[in-house]
Amino acid sequence: MKFIKNHLMFILPLMAILLGIEFYLVFERTTNTYEKGLTEGYSMLVVTKDPVELSTFQALNEHISSSEKLKRDAIVSEVAKGVNKSTSKAILDALPYFYNIGLDAYLHSSGLEEIKKDLESDPNIKKVETFGGSYNSSYKLFSFIKFTLKIFIVFMTIVSLFLIIKQMEIWKYAHKERMQVMEIFGAPMMLRSGVLFKVAFVDAFFSTLLVSAIFFYIKFYWAGQSGIDIMMENQEALFRMSDIGILFASSLLIVIIAVYSVVFSSRGVQE
Amino acid sequence: MSNVIHASNLTLAYGKGEKEVIKDANFSIKKGEFVFITGPSGSGKSTLLKSLYGQLKPSEGSLVVGGLDLANIRQGKLQELRTHMGIIFQDYKLVNEWTVSKNVVLPLMIAGYSTEVQETQARRLLKHVKLSEHADRYPLELSGGEQQRVGVARALAKNPVVILADEPTGNLDDYSSNVIWDLMENACQQLDTTVLVVTHKIPTIFSLPYRHFIIESKGVYEVH
Repeated sequence: MKFIKNHLMFILPLMAILLGIEFYLVFERTTNTYEKGLTEGYSMLVVTKDPVELSTFQALNEHISSSEKLKRDAIVSEVAKGVNKSTSKAILDALPYFYNIGLDAYLHSSGLEEIKKDLESDPNIKKVETFGGSYNSSYKLFSFIKFTLKIFIVFMTIVSLFLIIKQMEIWKYAHKERMQVMEIFGAPMMLRSGVLFKVAFVDAFFSTLLVSAIFFYIKFYWAGQSGIDIMMENQEALFRMSDIGILFASSLLIVIIAVYSVVFSSRGVQE
Repeated sequence: MSNVIHASNLTLAYGKGEKEVIKDANFSIKKGEFVFITGPSGSGKSTLLKSLYGQLKPSEGSLVVGGLDLANIRQGKLQELRTHMGIIFQDYKLVNEWTVSKNVVLPLMIAGYSTEVQETQARRLLKHVKLSEHADRYPLELSGGEQQRVGVARALAKNPVVILADEPTGNLDDYSSNVIWDLMENACQQLDTTVLVVTHKIPTIFSLPYRHFIIESKGVYEVH
Protein backbone atom coordinates (compact mmCIF):
# COMPACT_ATOMS: atom_id res chain seq x y z
CA MET A 1 0.00 0.00 0.00
CA LYS A 2 2.81 2.37 1.01
CA PHE A 3 4.66 1.38 -2.18
CA ILE A 4 1.66 2.32 -4.36
CA LYS A 5 1.09 5.53 -2.42
CA ASN A 6 4.74 6.57 -2.85
CA HIS A 7 4.52 6.04 -6.60
CA LEU A 8 1.15 7.79 -6.94
CA MET A 9 2.48 10.81 -5.06
CA PHE A 10 4.86 11.40 -7.97
CA ILE A 11 2.85 9.93 -10.84
CA LEU A 12 -0.22 12.14 -10.27
CA PRO A 13 1.50 15.56 -10.37
CA LEU A 14 3.68 14.36 -13.24
CA MET A 15 0.51 13.29 -15.07
CA ALA A 16 -1.02 16.73 -14.44
CA ILE A 17 2.00 18.37 -16.08
CA LEU A 18 1.91 15.94 -19.00
CA LEU A 19 -1.84 16.51 -19.41
CA GLY A 20 -1.11 20.25 -19.52
CA ILE A 21 1.56 19.72 -22.19
CA GLU A 22 -0.72 17.46 -24.24
CA PHE A 23 -3.69 19.84 -23.90
CA TYR A 24 -1.44 22.63 -25.12
CA LEU A 25 -0.26 20.56 -28.11
CA VAL A 26 -3.79 19.49 -29.02
CA PHE A 27 -5.16 22.99 -28.56
CA GLU A 28 -2.42 24.51 -30.70
CA ARG A 29 -3.08 21.99 -33.47
CA THR A 30 -6.87 22.31 -33.46
CA THR A 31 -6.88 26.09 -33.16
CA ASN A 32 -4.30 26.37 -35.94
CA THR A 33 -6.74 24.54 -38.21
CA TYR A 34 -9.58 26.75 -37.00
CA GLU A 35 -7.47 29.90 -37.45
CA LYS A 36 -6.56 28.76 -40.95
CA GLY A 37 -10.25 28.36 -41.73
CA LEU A 38 -11.03 31.84 -40.43
CA THR A 39 -8.13 33.33 -42.36
CA GLU A 40 -9.12 31.60 -45.58
CA GLY A 41 -12.71 32.71 -45.15
CA TYR A 42 -11.69 36.32 -44.68
CA SER A 43 -10.92 38.79 -47.49
CA MET A 44 -10.55 42.54 -47.99
CA LEU A 45 -12.11 44.39 -50.83
CA VAL A 46 -9.78 46.73 -52.71
CA VAL A 47 -10.85 49.15 -55.41
CA THR A 48 -8.17 50.34 -57.85
CA LYS A 49 -8.05 52.71 -60.80
CA ASP A 50 -5.88 50.42 -62.93
CA PRO A 51 -5.34 46.65 -62.87
CA VAL A 52 -2.90 45.51 -60.16
CA GLU A 53 -0.80 42.33 -59.94
CA LEU A 54 -0.52 40.26 -56.71
CA SER A 55 3.18 41.15 -56.44
CA THR A 56 2.27 44.84 -56.28
CA PHE A 57 -0.11 44.18 -53.38
CA GLN A 58 2.52 42.03 -51.65
CA ALA A 59 5.10 44.80 -52.08
CA LEU A 60 2.75 47.08 -50.13
CA ASN A 61 2.19 44.58 -47.27
CA GLU A 62 3.79 41.18 -46.61
CA HIS A 63 0.63 39.63 -45.06
CA ILE A 64 -1.19 39.67 -48.40
CA SER A 65 -1.19 36.15 -49.77
CA SER A 66 -3.70 36.23 -52.64
CA SER A 67 -5.68 38.56 -54.82
CA GLU A 68 -8.73 37.69 -56.85
CA LYS A 69 -9.91 40.08 -59.51
CA LEU A 70 -13.70 40.44 -59.53
CA LYS A 71 -15.34 40.26 -62.96
CA ARG A 72 -16.42 43.76 -63.96
CA ASP A 73 -18.64 42.48 -66.80
CA ALA A 74 -20.96 40.83 -64.29
CA ILE A 75 -21.20 44.06 -62.29
CA VAL A 76 -21.98 46.11 -65.43
CA SER A 77 -24.58 43.64 -66.65
CA GLU A 78 -26.30 43.91 -63.27
CA VAL A 79 -26.08 47.73 -63.11
CA ALA A 80 -26.74 48.53 -66.77
CA LYS A 81 -29.71 46.35 -67.55
CA GLY A 82 -31.55 47.51 -70.65
CA VAL A 83 -28.93 50.05 -71.78
CA ASN A 84 -27.40 49.82 -75.18
CA LYS A 85 -24.01 48.33 -75.95
CA SER A 86 -22.10 51.59 -76.31
CA THR A 87 -23.43 52.95 -73.03
CA SER A 88 -22.66 49.67 -71.39
CA LYS A 89 -19.06 49.89 -72.69
CA ALA A 90 -18.76 53.46 -71.40
CA ILE A 91 -19.87 52.30 -67.94
CA LEU A 92 -17.38 49.43 -68.08
CA ASP A 93 -14.55 51.81 -69.04
CA ALA A 94 -15.45 54.18 -66.22
CA LEU A 95 -15.72 51.38 -63.65
CA PRO A 96 -12.71 50.85 -61.35
CA TYR A 97 -11.14 47.40 -60.71
CA PHE A 98 -12.24 45.28 -57.71
CA TYR A 99 -10.06 42.78 -55.88
CA ASN A 100 -10.68 40.30 -53.06
CA ILE A 101 -7.45 40.24 -51.01
CA GLY A 102 -6.56 37.16 -48.93
CA LEU A 103 -4.20 37.19 -45.90
CA ASP A 104 -1.58 34.71 -44.72
CA ALA A 105 -2.39 34.96 -40.98
CA TYR A 106 -5.12 35.52 -38.46
CA LEU A 107 -4.57 39.18 -37.54
CA HIS A 108 -5.87 41.52 -34.90
CA SER A 109 -7.88 44.58 -36.06
CA SER A 110 -4.79 46.77 -35.63
CA GLY A 111 -3.04 44.47 -38.10
CA LEU A 112 -5.91 44.89 -40.55
CA GLU A 113 -5.75 48.67 -40.13
CA GLU A 114 -2.06 48.61 -40.91
CA ILE A 115 -2.68 46.66 -44.12
CA LYS A 116 -5.40 49.12 -45.05
CA LYS A 117 -3.03 52.05 -44.45
CA ASP A 118 -0.29 50.41 -46.52
CA LEU A 119 -2.67 49.77 -49.41
CA GLU A 120 -4.12 53.28 -49.30
CA SER A 121 -0.62 54.74 -49.55
CA ASP A 122 -0.65 53.64 -53.20
CA PRO A 123 -2.27 56.39 -55.35
CA ASN A 124 -3.65 53.72 -57.67
CA ILE A 125 -5.81 52.32 -54.85
CA LYS A 126 -9.05 54.23 -54.44
CA LYS A 127 -10.69 52.39 -51.55
CA VAL A 128 -10.03 49.54 -49.11
CA GLU A 129 -12.82 47.82 -47.17
CA THR A 130 -11.64 45.61 -44.25
CA PHE A 131 -14.98 44.32 -42.82
CA GLY A 132 -13.37 44.62 -39.36
CA GLY A 133 -16.44 44.48 -37.09
CA SER A 134 -17.48 40.83 -37.09
CA TYR A 135 -13.95 39.70 -37.73
CA ASN A 136 -12.71 41.55 -34.67
CA SER A 137 -15.31 40.10 -32.31
CA SER A 138 -14.44 36.53 -33.48
CA TYR A 139 -10.77 37.32 -33.04
CA LYS A 140 -11.27 38.64 -29.50
CA LEU A 141 -13.37 35.65 -28.41
CA PHE A 142 -10.90 33.23 -29.90
CA SER A 143 -7.91 34.98 -28.30
CA PHE A 144 -9.68 35.02 -24.93
CA ILE A 145 -10.35 31.26 -25.04
CA LYS A 146 -6.72 30.63 -26.00
CA PHE A 147 -5.42 32.87 -23.23
CA THR A 148 -7.71 31.30 -20.59
CA LEU A 149 -6.63 27.79 -21.49
CA LYS A 150 -2.96 28.75 -21.40
CA ILE A 151 -3.39 30.34 -17.97
CA PHE A 152 -5.12 27.19 -16.75
CA ILE A 153 -2.30 25.01 -18.07
CA VAL A 154 0.35 27.23 -16.45
CA PHE A 155 -1.55 27.20 -13.14
CA MET A 156 -1.93 23.42 -13.25
CA THR A 157 1.79 23.07 -14.00
CA ILE A 158 2.78 25.32 -11.09
CA VAL A 159 0.57 23.42 -8.63
CA SER A 160 1.95 20.12 -9.92
CA LEU A 161 5.52 21.37 -9.59
CA PHE A 162 4.86 22.20 -5.95
CA LEU A 163 3.55 18.65 -5.42
CA ILE A 164 6.67 17.27 -7.12
CA ILE A 165 8.88 19.38 -4.85
CA LYS A 166 6.98 17.94 -1.89
CA GLN A 167 7.62 14.44 -3.20
CA MET A 168 11.31 15.31 -3.68
CA GLU A 169 11.48 16.13 0.03
CA ILE A 170 10.03 12.69 0.79
CA TRP A 171 12.58 11.10 -1.53
CA LYS A 172 15.34 13.04 0.17
CA TYR A 173 14.16 11.84 3.57
CA ALA A 174 13.92 8.24 2.37
CA HIS A 175 17.17 8.03 0.39
CA LYS A 176 19.54 10.57 1.99
CA GLU A 177 21.06 8.23 4.58
CA ARG A 178 21.84 5.50 2.05
CA MET A 179 23.25 7.93 -0.50
CA GLN A 180 25.48 9.58 2.10
CA VAL A 181 26.85 6.26 3.33
CA MET A 182 27.54 5.21 -0.25
CA GLU A 183 29.24 8.55 -0.90
CA ILE A 184 31.54 8.07 2.10
CA PHE A 185 32.69 4.75 0.67
CA GLY A 186 33.38 6.30 -2.74
CA ALA A 187 30.29 5.39 -4.74
CA PRO A 188 29.96 7.48 -7.91
CA MET A 189 26.83 9.58 -8.22
CA MET A 190 25.10 7.26 -10.69
CA LEU A 191 25.49 4.29 -8.35
CA ARG A 192 24.26 6.06 -5.23
CA SER A 193 21.30 7.60 -7.04
CA GLY A 194 20.53 4.40 -9.00
CA VAL A 195 17.58 3.34 -6.85
CA LEU A 196 16.05 6.79 -7.01
CA PHE A 197 16.49 6.95 -10.78
CA LYS A 198 14.83 3.55 -11.16
CA VAL A 199 11.83 4.66 -9.10
CA ALA A 200 11.59 7.95 -10.98
CA PHE A 201 11.94 6.37 -14.44
CA VAL A 202 9.21 3.85 -13.65
CA ASP A 203 6.97 6.75 -12.57
CA ALA A 204 7.84 8.71 -15.72
CA PHE A 205 6.99 5.69 -17.87
CA PHE A 206 3.64 5.08 -16.19
CA SER A 207 2.70 8.77 -16.27
CA THR A 208 3.37 8.88 -20.01
CA LEU A 209 1.47 5.65 -20.53
CA LEU A 210 -1.59 6.84 -18.60
CA VAL A 211 -1.73 10.28 -20.27
CA SER A 212 -1.32 8.65 -23.69
CA ALA A 213 -4.12 6.21 -22.86
CA ILE A 214 -6.42 9.09 -21.86
CA PHE A 215 -5.82 10.89 -25.15
CA PHE A 216 -6.13 7.67 -27.15
CA TYR A 217 -9.55 7.22 -25.57
CA ILE A 218 -10.50 10.84 -26.30
CA LYS A 219 -9.35 10.53 -29.92
CA PHE A 220 -10.79 7.17 -30.84
CA TYR A 221 -13.92 6.91 -28.70
CA TRP A 222 -15.03 10.10 -27.06
CA ALA A 223 -14.37 12.63 -29.85
CA GLY A 224 -16.42 10.69 -32.40
CA GLN A 225 -19.41 10.40 -30.09
CA SER A 226 -19.17 13.85 -28.49
CA GLY A 227 -21.12 15.66 -31.20
CA ILE A 228 -18.75 18.64 -30.83
CA ASP A 229 -17.93 19.89 -34.34
CA ILE A 230 -14.40 21.09 -33.63
CA MET A 231 -13.58 17.71 -32.03
CA MET A 232 -15.02 15.67 -34.86
CA GLU A 233 -13.42 17.82 -37.55
CA ASN A 234 -10.02 17.74 -35.87
CA GLN A 235 -10.01 14.16 -34.64
CA GLU A 236 -6.65 13.55 -36.29
CA ALA A 237 -5.07 16.44 -34.39
CA LEU A 238 -6.26 15.18 -31.00
CA PHE A 239 -3.39 12.78 -30.44
CA ARG A 240 -0.42 11.74 -32.54
CA MET A 241 2.15 9.00 -32.03
CA SER A 242 4.87 11.67 -31.91
CA ASP A 243 3.14 13.06 -28.81
CA ILE A 244 4.17 9.94 -26.87
CA GLY A 245 7.80 10.87 -27.54
CA ILE A 246 7.22 14.48 -26.47
CA LEU A 247 5.44 13.37 -23.29
CA PHE A 248 8.07 10.78 -22.39
CA ALA A 249 10.92 13.22 -23.08
CA SER A 250 9.19 15.86 -20.93
CA SER A 251 8.59 13.44 -18.05
CA LEU A 252 12.20 12.22 -18.25
CA LEU A 253 13.44 15.81 -18.14
CA ILE A 254 11.33 16.54 -15.05
CA VAL A 255 12.45 13.28 -13.42
CA ILE A 256 16.15 13.90 -14.12
CA ILE A 257 15.95 17.44 -12.71
CA ALA A 258 14.06 16.17 -9.64
CA VAL A 259 16.47 13.28 -8.96
CA TYR A 260 19.59 15.39 -9.47
CA SER A 261 18.19 18.04 -7.11
CA VAL A 262 17.65 15.39 -4.44
CA VAL A 263 21.09 13.83 -5.02
CA PHE A 264 22.92 17.16 -4.86
CA SER A 265 21.04 18.32 -1.78
CA SER A 266 21.89 15.01 -0.03
CA ARG A 267 25.64 15.32 -0.44
CA GLY A 268 27.96 15.39 2.55
CA VAL A 269 27.93 13.45 5.79
CA GLN A 270 25.07 14.07 8.16
CA GLU A 271 26.28 14.91 11.69
CA MET B 1 58.32 2.94 5.15
CA SER B 2 56.25 5.31 3.02
CA ASN B 3 53.88 7.88 4.47
CA VAL B 4 50.20 7.06 4.00
CA ILE B 5 49.17 10.40 5.50
CA HIS B 6 51.20 13.59 5.50
CA ALA B 7 49.99 16.97 6.76
CA SER B 8 52.03 20.09 6.20
CA ASN B 9 51.01 23.41 7.78
CA LEU B 10 47.48 22.09 7.68
CA THR B 11 44.70 24.49 8.62
CA LEU B 12 41.10 23.35 8.80
CA ALA B 13 38.24 25.79 9.11
CA TYR B 14 34.49 25.90 8.69
CA GLY B 15 32.69 28.56 6.69
CA LYS B 16 34.99 30.74 4.61
CA GLY B 17 37.92 30.35 6.96
CA GLU B 18 36.05 32.15 9.73
CA LYS B 19 36.10 29.34 12.29
CA GLU B 20 39.53 27.74 12.44
CA VAL B 21 39.60 24.37 14.18
CA ILE B 22 43.11 23.14 13.35
CA LYS B 23 45.98 25.51 12.57
CA ASP B 24 49.41 24.82 11.08
CA ALA B 25 49.43 21.12 11.91
CA ASN B 26 52.37 18.99 10.76
CA PHE B 27 52.41 15.22 11.07
CA SER B 28 53.04 12.05 9.11
CA ILE B 29 51.64 8.54 9.50
CA LYS B 30 53.34 5.55 7.92
CA LYS B 31 51.87 2.40 6.44
CA GLY B 32 50.87 -0.19 9.02
CA GLU B 33 50.94 2.22 11.98
CA PHE B 34 48.23 2.30 14.63
CA VAL B 35 47.57 5.88 15.68
CA PHE B 36 45.33 7.38 18.36
CA ILE B 37 44.21 10.97 18.22
CA THR B 38 42.77 12.29 21.46
CA GLY B 39 41.67 15.64 22.75
CA PRO B 40 38.88 17.32 24.65
CA SER B 41 35.38 17.61 23.19
CA GLY B 42 35.18 20.18 20.43
CA SER B 43 38.95 20.23 19.96
CA GLY B 44 38.68 19.22 16.30
CA LYS B 45 39.31 15.46 16.38
CA SER B 46 36.35 14.59 14.18
CA THR B 47 37.07 17.58 11.95
CA LEU B 48 40.56 16.23 11.33
CA LEU B 49 39.13 12.82 10.52
CA LYS B 50 36.59 14.38 8.15
CA SER B 51 39.39 16.11 6.29
CA LEU B 52 41.21 12.77 5.97
CA TYR B 53 38.36 11.24 3.98
CA GLY B 54 37.88 14.41 1.97
CA GLN B 55 34.66 15.66 3.51
CA LEU B 56 36.32 18.93 4.53
CA LYS B 57 38.97 20.55 2.36
CA PRO B 58 42.05 22.09 3.96
CA SER B 59 41.72 25.86 3.99
CA GLU B 60 45.51 26.23 4.07
CA GLY B 61 48.53 23.95 3.80
CA SER B 62 48.47 20.47 2.37
CA LEU B 63 47.06 17.13 3.39
CA VAL B 64 48.29 14.19 1.36
CA VAL B 65 46.53 10.83 1.76
CA GLY B 66 47.65 7.86 -0.32
CA GLY B 67 49.74 10.18 -2.49
CA LEU B 68 46.82 12.53 -3.30
CA ASP B 69 46.68 16.12 -2.07
CA LEU B 70 43.20 16.57 -0.65
CA ALA B 71 43.45 20.36 -0.97
CA ASN B 72 43.22 20.12 -4.75
CA ILE B 73 41.62 16.76 -5.41
CA ARG B 74 39.00 16.22 -8.12
CA GLN B 75 35.72 14.51 -7.24
CA GLY B 76 36.51 11.40 -9.30
CA LYS B 77 39.91 10.94 -7.62
CA LEU B 78 38.38 11.48 -4.19
CA GLN B 79 35.80 8.76 -4.88
CA GLU B 80 38.62 6.42 -5.95
CA LEU B 81 40.63 7.26 -2.83
CA ARG B 82 37.64 6.53 -0.60
CA THR B 83 37.34 3.04 -2.08
CA HIS B 84 40.75 2.30 -0.48
CA MET B 85 39.60 3.52 2.93
CA GLY B 86 37.60 1.84 5.65
CA ILE B 87 35.66 4.31 7.74
CA ILE B 88 34.04 3.53 11.09
CA PHE B 89 31.65 5.93 12.81
CA GLN B 90 30.45 6.27 16.37
CA ASP B 91 26.84 6.11 15.13
CA TYR B 92 27.73 3.18 12.79
CA LYS B 93 26.18 4.77 9.66
CA LEU B 94 24.70 1.53 8.41
CA VAL B 95 21.96 1.51 5.80
CA ASN B 96 18.96 0.42 7.84
CA GLU B 97 16.89 -0.85 4.90
CA TRP B 98 19.70 -3.22 3.86
CA THR B 99 20.52 -6.55 5.46
CA VAL B 100 23.66 -6.92 7.53
CA SER B 101 25.20 -8.89 4.71
CA LYS B 102 24.51 -6.18 2.13
CA ASN B 103 25.87 -3.49 4.44
CA VAL B 104 29.11 -5.40 4.85
CA VAL B 105 29.77 -5.78 1.13
CA LEU B 106 29.00 -2.15 0.25
CA PRO B 107 32.68 -1.37 -0.62
CA LEU B 108 32.77 -4.45 -2.88
CA MET B 109 29.50 -3.45 -4.51
CA ILE B 110 30.94 0.01 -5.23
CA ALA B 111 34.10 -1.57 -6.65
CA GLY B 112 31.94 -3.63 -9.00
CA TYR B 113 32.68 -7.13 -7.68
CA SER B 114 30.38 -9.91 -8.82
CA THR B 115 27.49 -11.08 -6.64
CA GLU B 116 29.28 -14.41 -6.03
CA VAL B 117 32.40 -12.66 -4.74
CA GLN B 118 30.26 -10.37 -2.60
CA GLU B 119 28.42 -13.32 -1.07
CA THR B 120 31.63 -15.23 -0.34
CA GLN B 121 33.25 -12.17 1.20
CA ALA B 122 30.15 -11.38 3.26
CA ARG B 123 30.24 -14.88 4.77
CA ARG B 124 33.99 -14.59 5.51
CA LEU B 125 33.72 -11.10 7.04
CA LEU B 126 30.67 -11.90 9.14
CA LYS B 127 32.41 -15.03 10.44
CA HIS B 128 35.42 -12.84 11.28
CA VAL B 129 33.29 -10.46 13.36
CA LYS B 130 31.23 -13.35 14.77
CA LEU B 131 27.95 -12.30 13.20
CA SER B 132 27.40 -15.15 10.74
CA GLU B 133 23.98 -15.95 12.14
CA HIS B 134 22.83 -12.34 11.64
CA ALA B 135 23.61 -12.10 7.91
CA ASP B 136 19.98 -11.72 6.82
CA ARG B 137 18.85 -9.48 9.65
CA TYR B 138 18.61 -5.70 9.52
CA PRO B 139 20.86 -3.32 11.50
CA LEU B 140 18.08 -2.07 13.76
CA GLU B 141 17.47 -5.66 14.91
CA LEU B 142 21.01 -5.81 16.35
CA SER B 143 22.55 -4.40 19.53
CA GLY B 144 24.90 -1.40 19.37
CA GLY B 145 27.97 -3.60 19.74
CA GLU B 146 26.78 -5.89 16.96
CA GLN B 147 26.02 -2.94 14.69
CA GLN B 148 29.53 -1.62 15.24
CA ARG B 149 30.97 -5.04 14.39
CA VAL B 150 29.04 -4.81 11.13
CA GLY B 151 30.65 -1.37 10.67
CA VAL B 152 34.11 -2.87 11.26
CA ALA B 153 33.41 -5.74 8.87
CA ARG B 154 32.33 -3.19 6.23
CA ALA B 155 35.50 -1.18 6.82
CA LEU B 156 37.61 -4.32 6.31
CA ALA B 157 35.70 -5.59 3.27
CA LYS B 158 38.14 -4.40 0.62
CA ASN B 159 41.40 -4.73 2.59
CA PRO B 160 41.73 -0.97 2.85
CA VAL B 161 45.04 0.89 2.92
CA VAL B 162 43.82 2.96 5.83
CA ILE B 163 41.05 2.63 8.41
CA LEU B 164 39.69 5.85 9.89
CA ALA B 165 37.61 5.40 13.03
CA ASP B 166 35.68 8.18 14.74
CA GLU B 167 34.95 7.26 18.38
CA PRO B 168 34.29 3.63 17.37
CA THR B 169 33.49 2.53 20.91
CA GLY B 170 31.81 5.75 22.05
CA ASN B 171 28.40 4.13 22.37
CA LEU B 172 29.48 0.66 23.50
CA ASP B 173 29.91 -1.19 26.79
CA ASP B 174 33.34 -2.49 27.83
CA TYR B 175 32.85 -5.99 26.42
CA SER B 176 31.75 -4.75 23.00
CA SER B 177 34.50 -2.11 23.02
CA ASN B 178 37.17 -4.75 23.61
CA VAL B 179 35.83 -6.83 20.72
CA ILE B 180 36.07 -3.79 18.41
CA TRP B 181 39.65 -2.97 19.57
CA ASP B 182 40.68 -6.57 18.96
CA LEU B 183 39.27 -6.49 15.44
CA MET B 184 41.10 -3.27 14.61
CA GLU B 185 44.38 -4.50 16.14
CA ASN B 186 44.12 -7.64 14.02
CA ALA B 187 43.50 -5.61 10.88
CA CYS B 188 46.61 -3.56 11.57
CA GLN B 189 48.81 -6.57 12.39
CA GLN B 190 47.57 -9.06 9.82
CA LEU B 191 46.75 -6.81 6.87
CA ASP B 192 49.38 -4.11 7.51
CA THR B 193 46.59 -1.57 7.37
CA THR B 194 47.16 1.90 8.79
CA VAL B 195 44.58 2.52 11.50
CA LEU B 196 43.81 6.01 12.76
CA VAL B 197 41.40 6.23 15.66
CA VAL B 198 39.89 9.38 17.09
CA THR B 199 38.83 8.78 20.68
CA HIS B 200 38.33 10.42 24.05
CA LYS B 201 40.27 7.75 25.88
CA ILE B 202 42.86 5.20 24.81
CA PRO B 203 41.78 1.72 25.96
CA THR B 204 43.86 0.37 28.83
CA ILE B 205 43.96 -3.18 27.47
CA PHE B 206 45.53 -2.07 24.20
CA SER B 207 48.49 -4.35 23.46
CA LEU B 208 49.81 -3.06 20.13
CA PRO B 209 52.56 -0.41 20.04
CA TYR B 210 50.89 2.77 18.89
CA ARG B 211 51.51 6.47 18.26
CA HIS B 212 49.47 9.04 20.07
CA PHE B 213 48.60 12.55 18.90
CA ILE B 214 46.72 15.07 20.97
CA ILE B 215 44.80 18.06 19.66
CA GLU B 216 45.02 21.11 21.87
CA SER B 217 44.52 24.81 21.18
CA LYS B 218 44.12 24.10 17.42
CA GLY B 219 47.50 22.32 17.28
CA VAL B 220 48.23 18.63 16.67
CA TYR B 221 51.05 17.37 18.91
CA GLU B 222 52.62 13.93 19.22
CA VAL B 223 52.75 12.53 22.76
CA HIS B 224 55.94 10.58 23.50
